[in-house]
Amino acid sequence: MISKDAYKRYVEKNAPRSPMWRSMTAAFLVGGLICCLGQGVHDGIAAIFPAMSEEDIASWTTVTLIFLGAFLTAVGVYDKLGHFAGGGSIVPITGFANSVVSPAVEYNREGVFFGVCAKMFVIAGPIIVFGVVASVIAGLIGLITEAV
Amino acid sequence: MFERGAYIASSCTMVGPKEDAGAFGGLFDIVLSDDRCGEKSYEKAESRMHRTAIEGALARAGLADDGVDLMLAGDLLNEISASNLAMRHFKTPFLGLYNACSTFTEAVLLAAMLIDRGQIQRACCSTSSHFASAERQYRYPLELGNQRTPTSQWTVTGAGALVLSDESVQEDERAYEGFLERVSSLPPSDFAAKIAAKKGKMPVKVYRQGHEAPFDAVVTGGTLGRVVDYGMLDESNMGAAMAPAAADTLIGHFEDTGRTPGDYDAICTGDLGRFGSEALFAVLSSEGVDIEAKHLDLGAEYYLPEQKTFQGGSGAGCVNTAFCAFVLPKLRSGEWRRVLVLATGALLSKDTPLQKESIPGISHAFVAESAEKRESTLEKAQKYYTIGQNRE
Repeated sequence: MISKDAYKRYVEKNAPRSPMWRSMTAAFLVGGLICCLGQGVHDGIAAIFPAMSEEDIASWTTVTLIFLGAFLTAVGVYDKLGHFAGGGSIVPITGFANSVVSPAVEYNREGVFFGVCAKMFVIAGPIIVFGVVASVIAGLIGLITEAV
Repeated sequence: MFERGAYIASSCTMVGPKEDAGAFGGLFDIVLSDDRCGEKSYEKAESRMHRTAIEGALARAGLADDGVDLMLAGDLLNEISASNLAMRHFKTPFLGLYNACSTFTEAVLLAAMLIDRGQIQRACCSTSSHFASAERQYRYPLELGNQRTPTSQWTVTGAGALVLSDESVQEDERAYEGFLERVSSLPPSDFAAKIAAKKGKMPVKVYRQGHEAPFDAVVTGGTLGRVVDYGMLDESNMGAAMAPAAADTLIGHFEDTGRTPGDYDAICTGDLGRFGSEALFAVLSSEGVDIEAKHLDLGAEYYLPEQKTFQGGSGAGCVNTAFCAFVLPKLRSGEWRRVLVLATGALLSKDTPLQKESIPGISHAFVAESAEKRESTLEKAQKYYTIGQNRE
């Protein structure tokens, strides 16, 4: 039989690869469109509520996009978008909503507690943990620099 | 090699809609238009399909629900739960098997060995897999928007059952017809399916496959596989992980039996996929064995290219349904006289790749041949009985 190393080299050389340019173009287009959509929502809110502060507008824009991501996941559209766009629809915040809602939908049948609530974070969990840890560290650094 | 072998008495396959739209479309027995199969979850659906396939195979062989001596079954879910739950409905001794996607050939080999030795008379071998339950078991939630790599395979939604017997068995048309009628009246699973049913689209489509067979299909031998690990780490490239196992079993088989690829009409691998098949040729060519002219990968053939499954079908139900629907009729019609079926399994769990373990592969092979029909003792008795009646 062929040696393990030779086989490994053969597989690495010959295994079909992802079509780089097609994936990157699709990701660029869809990711860009989602960002444009976000900007559109931002400008829309600014036009309807002129008194709103920039910070509040940003928060409401985020909330709207998260809702859209979650909604499209629930009606079964976002996964099809993801198959086409890859990173283009994973990286924006709509992708984060998708990664929380999709396991929640999936584990609905195991009940509310050990199904939906427990499994909701199987994919987004690490992101949340790192986000919280990073914010704690940033907060501590901020606190120390302020005191000094 | 066996002395007498085991007759394939009957088979029954049940698949989802995507499978029927694939290359073997129209060859299956029962097709679901709703892959939830009237159940609340995909796991329950898989179990229901498993049970239905067994019932179908038993009915077709003219056997009662406890008509076989032993059931051998397996699937891909945790603790092979689809098989376990299906077995609640049969009062028959049950052996649960797991060898990933090669569970089917494992079951057939075991059953054939027991029958050949005279330990049992009849056995039922069944396996199942379901795309939605397998995705959840091994990968990500269905609605997650991620991309599949070009080396990935598509788990077949399908269940198949095969009844092996120590003698040739005439198919029981009437019992099977009754079974098909029961299956056709499956209730719709949800609101959408109910609306579809009102429009005349029933949840289950039934193909009545003609089985005017001049030949019997007999399992005449095989080779049990060893676990072979070539240090493959990529769980989305299982074809590469399984190809060395298939090569190992093939080489072992040819050495043991003294046969060459030329002795077979077809050498069907289970679900190596397109790249896995190439890898198999590469490994075999280093041993000076060439099977390319006779080789057929049932997984790679399963779906049409436009169905975007990349490497093709996989799963415990893949080789099973493809064998029953595609290979078996060819044996029975005499178009193929001898085939080697070797299914391959990637023995990984969801956790082993995370623990930096490589993916071991395994492959079991069985030989199926078509044999001239011999009258079984029962049929002979019936014939003499009717002759006797006519005389009176």
